[in-house]
Amino acid sequence: MNDIKSKIAIVLVCILLGLILAVQFKTVENNLGTGVIPTQRAQQLAIDYKRIQDERDRLRNELDNVESKLKQYEKGEVEKDVYLENLYKDIEKYRNLAGYEDVKGPGITIEINDPPVEIIFGGASSAIVDNYEYILQIIGVLNATEAEAISINDQRYTSFTEIVIAAGHLEINGVSCGPPFIIKAIGKADDLENSLRIKHGLIWRMENMLNLDIHIKQEQSIIIPKYKKIKEFRYAKPVEEITN
Amino acid sequence: MGEKNNNGMVWLIILFVLLGVLISFQMKLNIDDYDLVTLKNLQTMKNDSNNMRKEIEDLKGLIENRKKELAKLESVIKDDEGDISIHLMDEIKKLKLIAGLDDAQGPGIMLLIDDNQEEEIVGWGIEDDIVHDADIQVILNDLRKAGAEAISINGQRVMSKSEVKCGGSIIRVNGRSSAPPFVIKAIGDPKLLYAAISAPNTYGWIMKEVRLLRFEAMTKDNISVPKYYWAEQDFKYSKQKEEGE
Repeated sequence: MNDIKSKIAIVLVCILLGLILAVQFKTVENNLGTGVIPTQRAQQLAIDYKRIQDERDRLRNELDNVESKLKQYEKGEVEKDVYLENLYKDIEKYRNLAGYEDVKGPGITIEINDPPVEIIFGGASSAIVDNYEYILQIIGVLNATEAEAISINDQRYTSFTEIVIAAGHLEINGVSCGPPFIIKAIGKADDLENSLRIKHGLIWRMENMLNLDIHIKQEQSIIIPKYKKIKEFRYAKPVEEITN
Repeated sequence: MGEKNNNGMVWLIILFVLLGVLISFQMKLNIDDYDLVTLKNLQTMKNDSNNMRKEIEDLKGLIENRKKELAKLESVIKDDEGDISIHLMDEIKKLKLIAGLDDAQGPGIMLLIDDNQEEEIVGWGIEDDIVHDADIQVILNDLRKAGAEAISINGQRVMSKSEVKCGGSIIRVNGRSSAPPFVIKAIGDPKLLYAAISAPNTYGWIMKEVRLLRFEAMTKDNISVPKYYWAEQDFKYSKQKEEGE
């Protein structure tokens, strides 16, 4: 009698154990299952990524070297002649306008952070990425306040700069950037900040309607890097060339 | 009988311990094989790698170009007869076109955007019936995505520092007021540009089909975009960054 009772108990415990194990495996699979890839492949990707990054950095350095050499030659040559010197000054001005030079000066930095995690409802998407129009609007306001140079996450804002949503990130000048976004602008710092901060203006709306966390800082010296892509026009031609 | 039962129990305990050890081994193996890399991470990484590959291509081309220029410049400097001003003029010409200081022409599209012309309010509110600065900004961004090389709004070239800003019933571009209708011209691949603003679910399509604004786009074989009138040519605040800083 006693024997049968204890055997039944053991059978029950075993069934319970089996069930718990099954549930455990299922949950592990559910939690990690779809998004998981073997570590080896992830590592392979990470190695590739690093390699490409290294090569890019090396090439960037090389470009900087060649360009500074070129500049040295040009400068050395043009100092001999006033006419040439004036031409060279024009070149520098145009380069500045096109965004081909690193510039520095007083201005503001705007840091835009996603809302704290508790406030996000559903999904892992980022509020500022989904509402990237606000970044365009900030740039509009900065330009209206006569900012002289603007960058977003160290990507120079030029007349060709596009902002594209891609996989939860923003691609700016073809480089993917994630939050926090740091917008830098050179210009009259007071005016720049105040025009963004007007009552119920852009920053207010971003802070109160999207719950974004925004910090604006005025700084004496901001460095804005140059545009690092080749721009060769394939369609647009100067007008006089065609008429000739 | 009690003796025998105890014996069985001891065996059971040993077996369970063994089971536990085996299961934990099994789980350890599983966890070793997999890591928490989500598909989204992976996608971002892949995108990044692709972008960087493109950038590397670009950089290689750029270095090639610059080296050629350097060689040319060196030969000009060595040759006493050579004139560096030709080199500088070339550079100026190239820069002027890219910087938008030259009238440009080429294939592209023309866009006409105007407020909703119905007497009654058609959308959810009057806000939806008029064209805002934000709308124009998104359209401009969409055009740039499609590779627009030169853009103008009502005859004002759009530059990196052009503001597109609401000022009551008008929009200010380059410090000049423009009233609707807005004519936007863009030079680039006409098909791509057209698709970027009129394919279903693009912002332009929503403006046209949902908000019922007047929104007409046409591709053109030849369109001209005026140059930027650079009134105030000094940079008051920005200084060139010196080498080695």
